[in-house]
Amino acid sequence: MSSGISSTTPAVTRRAQTRLGIALITPLMILVAVFFVLPMCSAIYYSFVDFDGINPNPEFVGLDNYTRMFTDPEVWHALGNNAIWIVLGTAAPLAIGLVLALLLWNVKRGNMFYRLAFFLPYVLPGIAIGIVWGWIYDPVNGWLNKALQSFGLGHLATGWLGEPDSALYAVLATAIWASTGFILIIFLSALRNVDTEQIDASRLDGANAAQRLWHIILPQIMPVFLMVTTITLVGGFSVFDIIFIMTGGGPANATNVMGTYAYNSAFKVSDISYGTTLALLITALSVPCAVLLNRLQRRLSLQGTGA
Amino acid sequence: MIDITVSERDRLQLPEALNRPAATEENAASPRRKTALAGKHVLLIALALISLFPVILIISTALKTEADVRVDPFSLFSSFSLENITTAWTEGHFGEYLGNSLLLTVPSTLLVVVLSTMAGYTFARLPFRGRSVAFYLVVLGLLVPFFTYMIPLYFQLRGLALLDTLAGAILILTSTGVSFGTFFMRAFFSDLPTELEQAARVDGCSEWQIFLKVMLPLVGSGASALGVFTFLQNWNNFLVPLLYLPGGEFRPLTTGLYQFTGGRSIDVGPLAAGTLITILPVIVLFLVMQRQVASGFISGAVKG
Repeated sequence: MSSGISSTTPAVTRRAQTRLGIALITPLMILVAVFFVLPMCSAIYYSFVDFDGINPNPEFVGLDNYTRMFTDPEVWHALGNNAIWIVLGTAAPLAIGLVLALLLWNVKRGNMFYRLAFFLPYVLPGIAIGIVWGWIYDPVNGWLNKALQSFGLGHLATGWLGEPDSALYAVLATAIWASTGFILIIFLSALRNVDTEQIDASRLDGANAAQRLWHIILPQIMPVFLMVTTITLVGGFSVFDIIFIMTGGGPANATNVMGTYAYNSAFKVSDISYGTTLALLITALSVPCAVLLNRLQRRLSLQGTGA
Repeated sequence: MIDITVSERDRLQLPEALNRPAATEENAASPRRKTALAGKHVLLIALALISLFPVILIISTALKTEADVRVDPFSLFSSFSLENITTAWTEGHFGEYLGNSLLLTVPSTLLVVVLSTMAGYTFARLPFRGRSVAFYLVVLGLLVPFFTYMIPLYFQLRGLALLDTLAGAILILTSTGVSFGTFFMRAFFSDLPTELEQAARVDGCSEWQIFLKVMLPLVGSGASALGVFTFLQNWNNFLVPLLYLPGGEFRPLTTGLYQFTGGRSIDVGPLAAGTLITILPVIVLFLVMQRQVASGFISGAVKG
């Protein structure tokens, strides 16, 4: 716990603490003000004017950008893609991460190798991930189509990133590959705190693996489970890099999410104001969602610990 | 807290191993258990290979002869040559990009660690009016996606004459890292016992001395975990150099690779070599520091 302002703290100490505190956070606050608060204010300003990036005195247009946004069918399409990304991009890594963590739980031999192998994708740069998965999805020479052919599933082979039907899921699969290692490592550390005596006792009572998982293991790792869910869900709102790198939102807007749509509106057609308004929408959706999830997680984790 | 340091982990594992000898594989006696265990390892090795396959593919394609790449670009280890690496290093300018990546990553990482440590201490242990407002402002930076303000930031940077300068890119990389860093270091400082600073105060230490001489040495492991994590983040950062270093003079490895992919005829061999040059430092750093990386991720994520 941090030391609160207690009545026993002498005034001299409190003044000295205030002086030191202000000195220590001033450089950070300047940085945050200039490189975060100021551009956020400009973003809100841009959303009320018609700014093309050149005109120094853009015209005030009121809520025009907002009305345009809510009547733009591409916005709903992009939000739909964001929703698919949030649901599948959270559920799949959580499920795979949990299964891997349970498999690795009591493995002693080779444990370090497995952890490295599964965690490594998480630390690779997005651009390298995009390039190598582009090779795997390559319609002619790619490993995925070759593998399908060798399993007699050649009819399923397609140009994964080039086809509107498959592109979003192909990029999503790549993102799942890249993020699962992080979740696995966190689950492994949570499993280490699980009370093993309870599990042994339930084994003697004849509980099967599924029952042990559901009644003993999952409740004990619930706080961590919810924390990981929150992080991954909120990350789903702000997905941008990997789609930008792999498809740029194409083909034919098939992989557009709010981030890529905002970027393309601002920089490809020089509609800075509209692009900024689009970007503000996703912030308006994701920040309250993050706060809500965090509250929920705190409440549940307090219950979980019996506090 | 759920954070596990190395020593704690050993402490936790020891009694478990003593209490349940049958469950550890070294003592797995029955043949049925042995088969089950072998099956588990076969499954795990297969999954690990799938996980590593893209990295293997990069290495294999980078180390083939150019002629072989032309025939079948992605077959595994069909020939060996360093010609793709030399092409990427010289003609592809990846040697230069490597230098630029270091110029961007090292200063921004140091700045993130120093600023976050200072602010983390304040937010954990130095109460004063207005502190929580400042803290929420910093935390908001964690929640707002970068693409929301990256466009106005572009025009602002141009106005400050920092567009296309190393200083501008370093400051932006720093500002994108300090929210998490402050959050992270605050958790470490919060865990230290209050008795320490009270004892130091009785001994006549000033508030500055308490911070520098008593508290700071105790968060070394946290600061170095944050350092490794931030280094990886900044090394891998793609958007900051793409948007704010458009001229190409300070182009780092990530955007160097990107502009390589945009050409009409993509040279797979040198592109693979460039990718290898980009990820090699990441892999080496990760292997050497993996304990710190993992524990850093975990404590950063779990403590909060």
